[in-house]
Amino acid sequence: MSMESKLAPIRKGLLEFLVLKIVGARSVYVPDILRRLAGTEFATQEGTLYPLLSKLRREDLVQYEWQESDAGPPRKYYRLTEAGHAQLAALDDYWTRINRTVSDIGT
Amino acid sequence: MQRISVTARLNRSTLQFEEAAYARLASYLEEAARTLAGNPDQAEILADLEQAIADRCTGRMPSSQGVVTLAELEPALEEIGSVQVPGAAPAEDQHARPATRPLQQVSEGAMISGVCQGFARYFGLDVTLLRVAAVLLLFVSGGAMILVYLILMLLLPYAPPEPGSAPIRAIPARSRRFAGFVRSKLGAVAS
Repeated sequence: MSMESKLAPIRKGLLEFLVLKIVGARSVYVPDILRRLAGTEFATQEGTLYPLLSKLRREDLVQYEWQESDAGPPRKYYRLTEAGHAQLAALDDYWTRINRTVSDIGT
Repeated sequence: MQRISVTARLNRSTLQFEEAAYARLASYLEEAARTLAGNPDQAEILADLEQAIADRCTGRMPSSQGVVTLAELEPALEEIGSVQVPGAAPAEDQHARPATRPLQQVSEGAMISGVCQGFARYFGLDVTLLRVAAVLLLFVSGGAMILVYLILMLLLPYAPPEPGSAPIRAIPARSRRFAGFVRSKLGAVAS
C-alpha cells in the first residue's frame, strides 16, 4: 500500500471539517473556499466541493443566500446554520482531543 | 452548410459553443449526472457545476471571441474536476492480496495423504499436474519417490479443514492414522 493511499482517506475525512471552518469564519462563495484551500494539502475542486456543500445543506449545517455580483450572475453565499456552528465546535473540540492523544501516545 | 456553433444555456448563463466543445461539455455533464444519480440534490449540483463551467469559460475567452472552443473548455473542466460524491469509497486498493499459507498437507479430496494438494495450493499450481509429475518421478527415480512422499507425509503438518468443506474421505483418514502410527513408533525408537 502506497503512502499516498494511506494519506488520502485522512484528508478526505478532514475536508468536511475544514469547509465548515471556512464557512464558519465568514459568509463565503465557492471561489473563496477554493482559494482558501488551494496550495494546502486540501486543495479541492468544484467537482468535489459542490456535492459536499449540498450534503451539508441537506444536513442543515450550512445555508446559502443569493447575492448580486458586480460582474456576472448572482452568487450563492454560504454560511453556517446554528446546527452548523454547534457541529463545528464539537469537531474542533474532538480534533483538539485527538491531537493531544496522538502527541501523547508512544512518548 | 455546416453548423459551427451551438447555443447552450448553462444555469444562468447563455454561451455559444463550438461543435466539438459542445460535445465535450455534454459528455462531462452526462457523466456528472450519472455519478450523482439518486442524489436528492442532483439537479442543484448540476446547475452549480454548469455555472462554474460558464464562469470559467467566460473568464478564459478573449473578448473578441464569441464562441467557446475546446481551448477554453478543457482547462475549465480540468480545474473543476470530475464529480466526487462525499463519503464514497475510494476506488483504489479494493482487492486485498490473499494471505500466504504455510506448506501443509490438504486431506480433503486427497489421493493418498494430501501432499500433492498441499504443494499445489502452496505454489498455486494445478493439482493434477503435480500428481502426474509425482507419478512420473516415481518411475524415473526407480521407487525413491515413494520414500520422498512418505517423508513429506510424515513431516508436513495437516492443514486445518476449510469451513464448509466436504468431510474427510476414508483413504486420507486412514493414511493420517498411519502417519500418526509411524510417528509414534519413530518417537519410541528415538527415545
